Amino acid sequence: MRSLFEWVDALPSSIALRESLNAYPTMLTIHVVSMCLFAGLIAYWDMRLVGLTLRKVPVSNIPTRLFPWALTGYGINLITGALLLYSQPMRYYGNFYFWAKMVLMLIAGINMFWFHYATYKSVQAWDQGREIPMNARLAGVVSLVLWAAVVVTGRMMAYSGLMPQWWNNLNIGA
Amino acid sequence: MLQSFFQWMQGLPFSAWMLEETWASPIIQCAHLVALVAFAGAVLVVDMRLLGRGLIKTPLNQLAREMDRWMIWSFVALFVTGAPQVLSTALKQYYSPFFWWKMQIVIIGLLFNFTIRRRVAFAEEGSLGHWPKVVGFLSIGMWTGVSVYARLIGLLS
Repeated sequence: MRSLFEWVDALPSSIALRESLNAYPTMLTIHVVSMCLFAGLIAYWDMRLVGLTLRKVPVSNIPTRLFPWALTGYGINLITGALLLYSQPMRYYGNFYFWAKMVLMLIAGINMFWFHYATYKSVQAWDQGREIPMNARLAGVVSLVLWAAVVVTGRMMAYSGLMPQWWNNLNIGA
Repeated sequence: MLQSFFQWMQGLPFSAWMLEETWASPIIQCAHLVALVAFAGAVLVVDMRLLGRGLIKTPLNQLAREMDRWMIWSFVALFVTGAPQVLSTALKQYYSPFFWWKMQIVIIGLLFNFTIRRRVAFAEEGSLGHWPKVVGFLSIGMWTGVSVYARLIGLLS
């Protein structure tokens, strides 16, 4: 894994992106704005599942009407995130919060697919009602916590001096 | 006068504590970002509806009333988590043009929201012609501008 990161780090396009004055601020700003589009809409979908808001809106309306926008935000977020990683791979390789964010995103993705292919299949039975099945509520809570943690770990990536001691002891970034 | 006010803020014991306490700034910044996501979602759900997108089967005024409290409380959270950051880095903010552009749009955005946007979103649907679309577009534009300038304070100041 380390050699892959080192290989990318030495690529001329990675160096060019890293040395550009405007590339990093531009990519990071688009990354934050697209995060607002994606995470903002997903948060209210999760809160609908939990029963905190939008209780008069049929559950199935939200994926149909809001997900295309949320996924657009996610797509832009993924592209800018990949470019940020591509521009400074060795900065992120040794960063605990980067790997924590990746793992959290993976778990959030699994939760989303599990919900979609298991619980959501019976949505017609509870679409209009205020009583959401426990499995759906649980998926909503898990998703809210996971995406909030993704946002937090993403911000914490800037604090390379605040990584856990046990992680520092591994000397991954050295 | 403004400069001395910012110098005063920078010199407060709380500002020094914020800078000296290792975890204070990261925790506040993370909370600010989570509040931003909540605020952006509440704004977008209504603005997309104003643009004729999103939850079009739900009456606009019903959606706007429901999202209103989320928008207000997440803005309060943004203010509560944003103020300590301004206090602790007051002079950096003072000399950053992005900070002033951000604050100008925040003030215009708030005035716009509590006057025009709220009036249009709470009105009887179909009675205002193309105005809802104009209002939704302006609202998204303003709050996007705020996010962009906020991010640039940290990156280019």
